[in-house]
Amino acid sequence: MIAQEKKPMEEILGYLEGKQKVVVMGCGGCATFYRTGDTKAVNELAENLTKEGKDVFKIPLPFSIQACEIEKSGVFLEKNRKELENRDAVLVMSCGGGVQVVAEYMDEKMGIAKSVIPANDAIGLVGGGPTHLKETCQSCGMCELGKTAGICPLTACGKGLMNGPCGGVRVDNKCEIDENKDCAWVKIYERMEKLDELDKFTSIRDPHEWSKTKRPRLFEMEEPVKINASAGIGAIKGMMAVTFGPKPKLDE
Amino acid sequence: MGDEVYSDLMRELKEGKYVFTGELEPEKAGDVNEPIEMAKELVGMVVACNVTDNPQSFAYVNSMAASYLIQKEAGMECVYQLRCSDRNRMALLSDVLGAGALGLKNILALAGDHVSLGDTKDAKPVFDLDSTTLIKLIRTMVDEGKDLGGNEIHNPPKLHVGGAAAPGAAHLKAEVGKVKRKINAGVEYLQTQVVYYTDVLDKFFNELGKVDVPILVGIFPARTFGQADFFDKYVAGVDVPPDYLEAMRATKAIKDKEKKKEEVDRVNIEFFTGFLEHLKGTPAAGCHMMAVGYPRIIPPLKKLME
Repeated sequence: MIAQEKKPMEEILGYLEGKQKVVVMGCGGCATFYRTGDTKAVNELAENLTKEGKDVFKIPLPFSIQACEIEKSGVFLEKNRKELENRDAVLVMSCGGGVQVVAEYMDEKMGIAKSVIPANDAIGLVGGGPTHLKETCQSCGMCELGKTAGICPLTACGKGLMNGPCGGVRVDNKCEIDENKDCAWVKIYERMEKLDELDKFTSIRDPHEWSKTKRPRLFEMEEPVKINASAGIGAIKGMMAVTFGPKPKLDE
Repeated sequence: MGDEVYSDLMRELKEGKYVFTGELEPEKAGDVNEPIEMAKELVGMVVACNVTDNPQSFAYVNSMAASYLIQKEAGMECVYQLRCSDRNRMALLSDVLGAGALGLKNILALAGDHVSLGDTKDAKPVFDLDSTTLIKLIRTMVDEGKDLGGNEIHNPPKLHVGGAAAPGAAHLKAEVGKVKRKINAGVEYLQTQVVYYTDVLDKFFNELGKVDVPILVGIFPARTFGQADFFDKYVAGVDVPPDYLEAMRATKAIKDKEKKKEEVDRVNIEFFTGFLEHLKGTPAAGCHMMAVGYPRIIPPLKKLME
């Protein structure tokens, strides 16, 4: 999922200069998991904006209704068409994906051209949890994990080196740019050693094929997942399994 | 390694002569007058000088331009340091061609410090290639006359490529694995990061085992306490011995400039006498004297190696 942080209020108020009537829209996807776009976060931001003298209308999105998936979030935009037409700006509490999908839909499908403003900063595709999360993948389009014992050097190495470690490893095998981060290449070495694959360590990995990352990347779905009650039942079954299944070992 | 020899540095290494190299640092300035003057003093003392490329990610005069001017004005052969931090593979390729066209004969291929460590912290770090793949690129260009896409290079550059090694690396096995990878990529000589401890050096040579590539060991006789202290605090993989650091610190109190210089030289000669004596017994092919702005220390240190 895409981790995110709330933007400072000062920055948000800067974007809202001269805009009195605003909408605060949440996101029921990643932003709900990271508490940057759940209903509570929407209420808090609305309250703070009201204190700053703004006239606020809230559109919280329920759990599993992501701002970036227009088939779901579009329902809530259409439902609130009148409010959206009468407002000066829409603040979206999601990653940049949600912000842009909402802006494009409002502009091109609803005919409502308004300032759509990000309330969050997305900081990466992360994994782990529940409290300690780590950016693990940058969706580069050409996965290198098969060459590096399952640790992505493009993401886990501060320099993104395909052939490390660099000369900057700290005494405790931490990264030269951040004492809290492990050196990815020491990790790769240690994992290759466990897997008895150290011959792979000294082989030369070719430079990464960045031609696979021509932005913006477009993606076609032949058969999109149906968003209906049956999908909802599937989600409930999943949650039941997590609630009653064996508990994974988690960090304190 | 190909049989062709393009530079004095490589000729001396191939002849098995004990090699001494120096280091010059272009600064944040619109000229390279100071390193040119330093280079003039070093002529005859060292066979070649490294010209640093944005060291510690502080943006200074372009290393290729500085190397060209130093070679032209001072007659000192240069080792053009080239970092992957600031250039993508296309820019690196084009810079290597440029270096060849300007008559530069040696490149030291480096990954480079992360930009966030320097004075341009918001720059986008590039690292499109790493030191190993840069070495491979240069060898392919020089030996095969091809670029990364297999396109032919008309009149390929004639230069040699060196690489770095860090004997003091926290994880020596991983570091040595990387050094072996550079050797597989075709590196023609290696230059180590600064070492002060003989046991660190011995462990490195033991772990590496016998290799066919000549290795220059980096030493850093500091001109001031500040230089030594900076290395100790900020340069990864380098530990400056406390006794040496304290002896250098004591020189700060000396008011008389000449006496201070004499004492700094004395401290360095005393410390490096033992180190260089030990170096004679290692497989090192020479010594890289990273004595930036301190050329007067090189002759007495070289004398110790005789």
